[in-house]
Amino acid sequence: MLAPSLLVVSALFLLPMAWFFVLSFWRLRSYRLYPDFSFRNYAVAWTEYLDAAVFTLWMSLTVAAITLVIAYAMAFFIRFRAGRFSGAVLLITLATLFGGYLVKIYAWKTILGSTGILNQFLLGTGLVSEPVSWLLYSPFAIIISLTHFLLPFAVLPIYASLRRIDERHIEAARDLGASNHRAFRDIILPQSESGIFVAFTIAFLVTAGDYVTPTLVGGSSTFMVGTFIQSQFVNRMNTPLGSALSFGMLASCLVILLIARALLRACLRVR
Amino acid sequence: MKRFPQTVWYAFGLVSVLFMISPLAIVMFFSFTGNRHATLPAGGFTFDWYRELAANPDFWPALTNSLIVVGFVGLISMVIGTLAALALVKLRPGLAGGISNLLAFPLMLPPLVLALALVTSFSWIGAPLGLWTVILSHLVFTQPFVILIVTAQMQGFDESLIECSRDLGASPWQSFSTIVLPIIRATLIGATLIAMSISLDDFVITFFTIGGGLTLSTLIWGMLRTSLDPSINALGTLILFFTLGASTLALRITNYRG
Repeated sequence: MLAPSLLVVSALFLLPMAWFFVLSFWRLRSYRLYPDFSFRNYAVAWTEYLDAAVFTLWMSLTVAAITLVIAYAMAFFIRFRAGRFSGAVLLITLATLFGGYLVKIYAWKTILGSTGILNQFLLGTGLVSEPVSWLLYSPFAIIISLTHFLLPFAVLPIYASLRRIDERHIEAARDLGASNHRAFRDIILPQSESGIFVAFTIAFLVTAGDYVTPTLVGGSSTFMVGTFIQSQFVNRMNTPLGSALSFGMLASCLVILLIARALLRACLRVR
Repeated sequence: MKRFPQTVWYAFGLVSVLFMISPLAIVMFFSFTGNRHATLPAGGFTFDWYRELAANPDFWPALTNSLIVVGFVGLISMVIGTLAALALVKLRPGLAGGISNLLAFPLMLPPLVLALALVTSFSWIGAPLGLWTVILSHLVFTQPFVILIVTAQMQGFDESLIECSRDLGASPWQSFSTIVLPIIRATLIGATLIAMSISLDDFVITFFTIGGGLTLSTLIWGMLRTSLDPSINALGTLILFFTLGASTLALRITNYRG
């Protein structure tokens, strides 16, 4: 009974990814692909797109860190502090998970633009005398749009790990004289490690691979690797270079995530 | 360290909920107001943008294509996802966990990479791009959600009910259709609605695997790139209405909470 699902994942995921990886070693000559085994595409990706890659990874870390902090507080609120509102807040979080990727970005465009709602509000209250221009078409716009989009994806895994925590452990710690801070630090935080890591991973990887948000709200001078990968396909038909860029990016992300996991382990160790 | 007062938590909860829903509420609000741009005061109530959207020659084919894709993706991922979930709950936990992770792995990759891998593979085997390649591609990232939701439901399932029916002489199919199916029906409907919402919402993979042609999400992308046409608000509201409505309904009937 597992056969159809396994067929889908192997034929439409594992095989395509393997083929796409093989292509990164091929050569492109006058718009035709030739089998090869060379690291030339990776060398080109490294020399020509290093700046964009560093910027992208930096943005991804920023977005992932901001999303993680807000999402943790929200998940904590839903699990321990929301009382009778917890069901409603959780339902809103889940419902916004499944809809409106492009609509959300478009909404931020109408909010952040120079004639947008935020600027009208700032002008109307006299806080600024001219529209704030860096709100839209800037790294700031990418960060806020992606944080908004990723928040539900980050809240849910953290909430799932917080929900598994046995409240008696917290009570026991409190009975033994632990402060709130100590109980949080030594009981709650270590037990939510898996949720924190999954939330961070999703936020980090989605940002690292995104090209839609930078294209729509990032402006003409903000380039992320996703934009270049996409243009290798759409404009230049250079599949091997696009593939090398993709896998180079995935490998860098993997390294960063492994470091993040080691740091997280070290920080959350119970003293 | 002292505990934050409860009012601080409520204020935080309120602000974060507002942060999550107000951009969506703004799109819905301006789809019914008279101004060409999203400015306040908003102008009178109007259906003009919906009329303009309906008059857009690209809208109806895009809607038809979206309905075809969403319908097939919902149906197929419900069937194969449920089959997988029913099999997974019978395996020993370690193996089942490994297989679930493999099936959910596509969700961990950026959609752009998955889309490009798919489109290069389709062109490698010479498959012409079209709605059917979109449908196949969507299955990769909708089936994990169905499997997750149905597995969560099946974990609380009383296996002895099936044994009873088998002891009383029911065939495997009879015991499935008369015992299991009625119990998990609501969950299946919910899981299908979620799969449909995800499929309707996807842009990146649809954009690359469709070749020519439009769906609602690629139509909205085109409108976003070319103009600040207020009928985007109307189209956005329609998409939000379907995805948020379907997933809220689904979450209510399945009682699934992550």
